[in-house]
Amino acid sequence: MVKIPVLKSITEANALLARALRERFAQQDVLVLNFIASPGAGKTTLLERTIEKLNGELRLSVIEGDPTTSLDSERIFAAGVPVVQINTDGGCHLEARMIQAALEQLDVEDADVVIIENVGNLLCPTGWDLGEDAKVVIASLPEGDDKPLKYPMAFATAQAVVINKIDLEPYLPAKVSVLRQNALQINPHLAVFEVSALTGQGLDGWVDWIWEKLAEKRESRCTKCP
Amino acid sequence: MHEMSITQAMLDLALGHAQGQRITDIHLQVGMMSFVVPECVEFYFEYLSQGTLAEGAKLHFETLPIEITCLDCGRQADLSDWADDPPRAIMVEALARGCRCGSKNLRLTGGTGFDMISLEVEVQEARGKKQEKKRRTSDD
Repeated sequence: MVKIPVLKSITEANALLARALRERFAQQDVLVLNFIASPGAGKTTLLERTIEKLNGELRLSVIEGDPTTSLDSERIFAAGVPVVQINTDGGCHLEARMIQAALEQLDVEDADVVIIENVGNLLCPTGWDLGEDAKVVIASLPEGDDKPLKYPMAFATAQAVVINKIDLEPYLPAKVSVLRQNALQINPHLAVFEVSALTGQGLDGWVDWIWEKLAEKRESRCTKCP
Repeated sequence: MHEMSITQAMLDLALGHAQGQRITDIHLQVGMMSFVVPECVEFYFEYLSQGTLAEGAKLHFETLPIEITCLDCGRQADLSDWADDPPRAIMVEALARGCRCGSKNLRLTGGTGFDMISLEVEVQEARGKKQEKKRRTSDD
């Protein structure tokens, strides 16, 4: 019997590819956001509103991840933005190799911001690096204000949380302030936005954050790189 | 759900390192906050390894604790700082209570991975010799 040392992460292949994607995005000066949320939290509606606010000022592209159908990418296409649909055929999260394949159909060089809408799931999308600059969690109030405590990893690894459907607060036992407090308990570095993607309430702060992240990325650009 | 593709990646990694030798044991480390359920990996491994050099190999899982780092004082601690036998839920409480220095500026820095530490393989050369010897004696 012989022992062979391996000492490698099982997901190393994904990590290496994600690193390569991150370098490519940096060279092309494009900000990449990875939207993570439960099914029905309002990811696509938030995307539509974000496109309305930014289109014309910034060039956006979208990568849509869903287990099946092109319903979401049709909505984004109707909003007037280049979009690629990834169907995971039942898979519960997007992986770096799927993003690499999607980029063959998407001209990222022509974009300022690429938004990846991950599969609706608060668990494993968090564990797969896609080469993004920031993960953004969308947590809607009807899901309950205890979501950060039950799914801490999503909130621990994100840079921002968008609390959606705040217009429903009068009808729900869940409170926006409690959801905010629970999210910050898991991760005090989170930028928190309280919005209603449906009514448009609170979207300005969220859109300003995208501008800030883009400016940050462009400032940190290596001046020696071509 | 994703354990199927993770198990396939694990099997590929093992076969790549075994260099054509039969694998008998695989030693793995699983973080408490990884997205991997060892029982599921075992189930899929039995199925996916059929007909490969890893068929029948025994999987050994070592659980790695959650590690939290204080960004103010630099203290790194696993959850035994907060409880003797820490379940996952303690992480949320630990983050709420904060570091011993009083800071709540904490970050989760370990216990999220799934790593292969080593493999055990049968030595082919020795087996080949044994078979050769056997053949020779039967010829006699």
